[in-house]
Amino acid sequence: MTAAGAVVRPRLPRVVRAEWTKLRTLPVNGWTLLAAVGLTWAVSAATVSGLDPASCPSGRGCDLDITQATLAGVYLGQVAVVLLAVLVVTTEYDTRTIHSTLAATPNRAAVLAAKLAVVSAAVLPAAVLAVAGPLLAGRLWLPGNGFTRAAGYPPISLADGPTGRAFLGSVLYLSLLALFGAGVAVIVRHSAAAISTMLAVLLVPAIVAGLMSDDRWRDRLLELAPMTAGLSVQVTKRLDTLPIGPWAGLGVLAGYAAGAVVLGAVLFLRRDA
Amino acid sequence: MTADTLSRTAAPLPPADRDRFGRLLRAEWTKLTSIRSTAIILLLTIGLTIMVSLLSVSGSQTSGGSGPTYRDRFHFVHRTLTGDGSITARVGAQADSQEWAKAGVMIKAAETPGARYAALMVTPRHGVRWQADFALPDTAGSSGGAPRWLRITRAGQLLTGEESADGLAWTRVGSSTLVLPRAVEIGLFVTSPGIFKVVKHGNSTTAGPDETVGRATFDNVAARTGAGTPAPGSWRDEDVGGSGRGADAGGPGLPDGFTPPVPGTSTETGGVFTVTGSGDIGGVSPEDEQGGDDTVMNSLSGVQIGLIVIAVLGVLFATSEYKTGIIRSTFAADPRRVRVFTAKAAVVWAVAFGCGLVASVAAFLISQPTLHRNGFRPPAYPYRSLTEWPVLRAVVGTALFLAVFALFGLAVGTILRRAATAITLVVAVVLVPQLIASNLSLEASKWVNRATPLAGLAIQQTRHRFDTPIGPWAGFAVLCAWAVATLALAFWLLRRRDA
Repeated sequence: MTAAGAVVRPRLPRVVRAEWTKLRTLPVNGWTLLAAVGLTWAVSAATVSGLDPASCPSGRGCDLDITQATLAGVYLGQVAVVLLAVLVVTTEYDTRTIHSTLAATPNRAAVLAAKLAVVSAAVLPAAVLAVAGPLLAGRLWLPGNGFTRAAGYPPISLADGPTGRAFLGSVLYLSLLALFGAGVAVIVRHSAAAISTMLAVLLVPAIVAGLMSDDRWRDRLLELAPMTAGLSVQVTKRLDTLPIGPWAGLGVLAGYAAGAVVLGAVLFLRRDA
Repeated sequence: MTADTLSRTAAPLPPADRDRFGRLLRAEWTKLTSIRSTAIILLLTIGLTIMVSLLSVSGSQTSGGSGPTYRDRFHFVHRTLTGDGSITARVGAQADSQEWAKAGVMIKAAETPGARYAALMVTPRHGVRWQADFALPDTAGSSGGAPRWLRITRAGQLLTGEESADGLAWTRVGSSTLVLPRAVEIGLFVTSPGIFKVVKHGNSTTAGPDETVGRATFDNVAARTGAGTPAPGSWRDEDVGGSGRGADAGGPGLPDGFTPPVPGTSTETGGVFTVTGSGDIGGVSPEDEQGGDDTVMNSLSGVQIGLIVIAVLGVLFATSEYKTGIIRSTFAADPRRVRVFTAKAAVVWAVAFGCGLVASVAAFLISQPTLHRNGFRPPAYPYRSLTEWPVLRAVVGTALFLAVFALFGLAVGTILRRAATAITLVVAVVLVPQLIASNLSLEASKWVNRATPLAGLAIQQTRHRFDTPIGPWAGFAVLCAWAVATLALAFWLLRRRDA
């Protein structure tokens, strides 16, 4: 940073503390995070209990990606994460608190940085909990369902490379999604519009892809859309059938998040609140 | 429809009150139409529905109608007959390998697939059948299966099929006139169609018939010439139409999880023939082509995106009143809250229905030329018109579907009173289960399409497919149940809570 950095640095911790207090003291934020964890667990539990090695045909055709299936709850949990990230930003606009915030701290870059930092700090532990729970449940539960080592399914273990990647990747996925959501919220400044935009950008390509019959265009869509590309990080088997590689896919989501945050920052610094 | 709803709600009220409900309606109408975002949302609904529908049909291809219009694959034990004559046999037993497995006697111009023929057969579940030259429909005989005596007699160009329980008293099943060469192949045949199966393998789903093997025993087999003497020659046997699926599917190799085809066999011991075979014989109508595309449903599929937008309209119509505090003025003007919200619901329903009708009619009409270009043409895919019944139900039903979704949004918005949470909840309930299920198993997807509000999409069906989860009206009723339940909760909360 340049000369301005010298002025910013001593104030930043206080700005972060202020933002943290705002986030912490709104009960809805705690509930939303709890919902993110709980919904992920619930959907994953339902999925795990329904997995059956006999459900697919005999022979080598039956090669379920149990790690990916176990993490199915992230589809629902992510909605709560996005809601939290969007609301942390837009509630200030809905209630006009943003005017007081900017009056107290005219350094907008610090305010935005602090907001993004507290959102990430709140989401990260929740994401770890949300993702670790199902994997642990899968490890304990699936052998009893017939997914034994003898049947070709070693127990889920983070020491296994692809499973470790799925775990780390899912945590990063949720965290990046929070930054993406916050960025879009800064750009849009309106709760309903921001959440609609985010959910549409995440879910609509996946639905549209399901309706498309041209494989080439479908794969193009799946590798460019933030959710479908980002969630490919959860896949541990038959990576060659994916339209985009696991880390590359997460990179696509990171690109969206970075783009939204940068555009949001530019607008935040330039616009009237 | 709107008028009907209104008169029913307003009927018990005295004239003065009816007037006031009319005024309430006008008030809500003004509120809805004076918001700029309403117009944007309605245009988005129409635009997205049409665009996504077009996108989904533009990439679709079919070879339907260009392939053969018949199936002809079976195991044939035969000898050559010159001139008139007959083939008689008693089918002693038939394995129930498939409900339409076939075992019987046949006269065929040549042992090549597609050659003219007449066949009389027993089936495990559909009794005795008479087929001639792939004509549809075939003729049904008695309803019993094996054991049964069967006989086909050729007299010039007239072929007659008869059946009997004891070999003494014969009943005619059917007769046909066929132009046949002088020398024809006569004999016994066994075949068994595949059982439709869906296999999920990794990320891809394969659907198709899975091979079954039919087996039957024949005794009292007699091939006679017109003079009543045994036909000369000896029995030969072979798989007509090849032994593999390649012959009638012409597709790539066998997908994982499907049974590889087994060549047919025949053995004879002491006059008893045991024959096995796979395949099917008969004409193919587009309707029984399993897995055939529902082109009407495909041309309306954009509504799966349109429904999100229209639900947002419903949500915002409720929550914007709370956000701006207008709700207090609204209730001050008319304290009967349920009536106020009934008017709100009626207005949002009517607007969503009108907008949905524009979207679905346009999506249907715009998609048709593209579908025709992509090969969805008669005879496999007859042209569909808006005036025929299942199409009309699908198109108008799509508008109804959107209208009920708007009501669902309105109810959730009223319950939660915050736009962001309400929109999130609607999307989570509607879209997320579908996404999760499509990654799991076909069975899970079926349940999602039976139990979640998306079940309402069933109203677009115009063709029964192997993956049809629920009937059209039942599915629509599931959606209505969701809407009614949330509306009931919304009305209850409206009366109980402070605004």
